[in-house]
Amino acid sequence: MLWCRHLSKRFGEFTAVDNVTFEIPAGTICALLGPNGAGKSTLLKMLTGLLEPTSGEASVLDKREIGVLPENLGLFDDLTIEEHLELTGPIYGLSSFETRSRTEQLLSALGVQEGRRTFLSQCSHGMRKKTSLAMALLPNPRVLFLDEPFEGIDPVTAETIRLLLISIARRGVTVLLSSHILSLVDRLAEQIMMIRKGQLVWNSAISELPRGLEEHYFELVEAPLEQDLPWLGSQAS
Amino acid sequence: MAGIASVLRALGRAVWRDLRTLQSIMGNNFFLFVLLLLQQMESALFFLLILGLLVLFPLSADPLRKIPADRLMLWPLSPRQRVALRFASVALSPVAWITVGLLLKTQKLAVAGQFLIAAAIVQALVAFSTQVARRAPAFDILRRIPALPGVLGGLVRKDLRQMLTTLDPYVALVLSLSAVGYRLFSKAPDASALSVLTVVVVLAMSTYSQCFFGLDGAAGMARYRLLPLAGWQILLAKDLAFLLIAVPLLLPLRPLAGLGAVLVALAIGHHTSVFQPIPQHRWRFTSGVVVPNGLIQSFFLVSAGVAVDRQGPLFLILCAAAYLGSLWYYGRTWAALLH
Repeated sequence: MLWCRHLSKRFGEFTAVDNVTFEIPAGTICALLGPNGAGKSTLLKMLTGLLEPTSGEASVLDKREIGVLPENLGLFDDLTIEEHLELTGPIYGLSSFETRSRTEQLLSALGVQEGRRTFLSQCSHGMRKKTSLAMALLPNPRVLFLDEPFEGIDPVTAETIRLLLISIARRGVTVLLSSHILSLVDRLAEQIMMIRKGQLVWNSAISELPRGLEEHYFELVEAPLEQDLPWLGSQAS
Repeated sequence: MAGIASVLRALGRAVWRDLRTLQSIMGNNFFLFVLLLLQQMESALFFLLILGLLVLFPLSADPLRKIPADRLMLWPLSPRQRVALRFASVALSPVAWITVGLLLKTQKLAVAGQFLIAAAIVQALVAFSTQVARRAPAFDILRRIPALPGVLGGLVRKDLRQMLTTLDPYVALVLSLSAVGYRLFSKAPDASALSVLTVVVVLAMSTYSQCFFGLDGAAGMARYRLLPLAGWQILLAKDLAFLLIAVPLLLPLRPLAGLGAVLVALAIGHHTSVFQPIPQHRWRFTSGVVVPNGLIQSFFLVSAGVAVDRQGPLFLILCAAAYLGSLWYYGRTWAALLH
């Protein structure tokens, strides 16, 4: 089980995460939703040990048990896509055969086989994200923390990732992910948490939402603004 | 014209910022050494020439390349405006300023012309190697660095590539090759000259050990936090990469003295790497903390090299002990600071 109690993070006067408490049962896919700057990435960083909380406590997990797709992807410009995976395997205790075999399968599943020998500095954002995701999956973790795994990813790979996450959750892997793509989250997550200005404003099973996910999000977190900029399009008319 | 003026202003800012990155040389131990040698211009000239040659690589870069090619293509500029931009951008090149400066100072067209030709050759070499690396990746030397065995093998490969994108190892390479030339072609090579050259080779690389994390960036640091490795293991990967470059350069000189100097340089360099991490730029000289860290590092690495050379391998054991102590202490400290 993944949990935290009264978790807070303050940067000077600014409170990024404010007294957050939740539990996620093992084998559950939980989606953390909220606007940019709401505190999602800060919360994930505290849960993965990337950031010390100001107060509160959280479940402590061994680094070998978790797979993380961090906000800044955590990649090295001096390595190619496949070299990132070659680097990861031995560090997590995999044999070179296991590393090679899993690397092949992950590169194929994520659709990056053709660009596998490209240096990260020359990769598109999507390819970089897939590399970081492959690094998170390679050691076969018990818990996955994914910061916006679908953003910048093509629809076919996004669907592949969705199906993959569903199948590994069935085998007991706990997944906590943040995302802005509500349509995908709607078809993936079993538990929904919504965060606004650092505070957890909703936490329930997706089946317990009183209305559709998007409708509930707009009502509870923030509604879209109807804004018109009159100068935009003035050349076309 | 307003469009071109706006592009040139932005370009000027980019060139200025780029030039400021060359100031990194001021924090380099080897530059410090050359400054000290300036008291005797004849001795300093050789080292100044090496520095000048390597600085010419970043200086001779085409300023217009600072604008991404796709962005430049998308801007609604007429062909005439593009030609004007091409010519105007030449005026922003530091090579153009230096050529004019040389012409005014020496009043000799030949001197300015030779400098311009040297810069053009350097730029052609850069363009050629970039094209080769792009079209035939097999010829990319950095790519050819193999995967090394062991848990840290992947990190060592990454650290080797990182180190080879700074100018420091290339100064050491030129110095090592010069020493080999001296050894081969001098009728009676002076043993003490080889000892001096050995420590100078280590000195040329030593600043890099003060800024081990300078090219990893925020993403690299996040990855280090996530990896199930101890702090000393991550430092060790960096040290191994340093040794893999340093040892071949020292082998034709006085290898034991060089190894002693390298171990001491690493032991002291860890301190600045851990407590005062300084971001670095690729294809520039690395920059550390000159006072007092760089001075202390230079003094002790030279002393260690001389001591091992004169007193024998016993001092090498002392250097190794100092290195291991530093690896243990700074590995722990770095991990604690990281989290």
